Amino acid sequence: MNAAAEGSTYPPVVVVVDPERVAAFRRLFGIVDGVPPTFATAAEFEALPQVLGDPALGLDFTRVVHGSQAYSYVRPFREGESLEARARIESIRHRGGAGFLTVVIDLVDVDGETVCVARSQLLERGPGA
Amino acid sequence: MRRLDEVTAGEDLPEVRRLVTKEDIAAYAEASGDRNPLHLDDAFARSVGFPGVIAHGMFTMGHMSAAVVEWAGDPASVVEISAQFRAPVLPGDTITAGGRIRSVDSATRVAVVDTWVVIDGRDEWPVRKGSARVRLG
Repeated sequence: MNAAAEGSTYPPVVVVVDPERVAAFRRLFGIVDGVPPTFATAAEFEALPQVLGDPALGLDFTRVVHGSQAYSYVRPFREGESLEARARIESIRHRGGAGFLTVVIDLVDVDGETVCVARSQLLERGPGA
Repeated sequence: MRRLDEVTAGEDLPEVRRLVTKEDIAAYAEASGDRNPLHLDDAFARSVGFPGVIAHGMFTMGHMSAAVVEWAGDPASVVEISAQFRAPVLPGDTITAGGRIRSVDSATRVAVVDTWVVIDGRDEWPVRKGSARVRLG
């Protein structure tokens, strides 16, 4: 993983808070109504592949595990709304042979207001680890 | 929505248990869009050192957040949720999500909750340190 990719930003990706996918999240987690907070993951995943697959980052995906995840919500998601997922690499650190990648994705509504900030930490194990 | 006067620091959230199946993991891959073969293809999962497919960390966090939402009474009252992933969850595992109120701020009407997920019969914590902030009515 190339530390010089720290600070990279990526083109926004449009994500719809699709009622069918929201319903699938509700069914999976036994939530009766509203949009489950971790539906944010589905929005995040629209923007994450371009980061993880960025040749300038050079991540070895076969050695990656998800270390931690945080979501903070300015307001709840609304079913059917369109959001922009704007991704950036917040930090890249190497410690003890492993690489720590922090990706932040802002989910922004059609009025330009941030709805949710998603912060993922991924860990790239060292070769042979 | 849970009311401020119903919440005391130190109180436990009701635990939520579930069995995790391969079908759940596949359904989660479809709903979330995370189709990493680590969660869908046993042969691939074994090639990278796991006994077979594992649940997405975010599946486990989804379950953890379900315990918070159930307690909060409304998904819209969750203002922050986070988790550190510590151990993989395998198909056939029964996982239990729990939590405890760390603090209640009566000025901002927000409760801070420490959360976790454990696997039945194994001393492993898929999430040892999670947390949530919940708005109170």
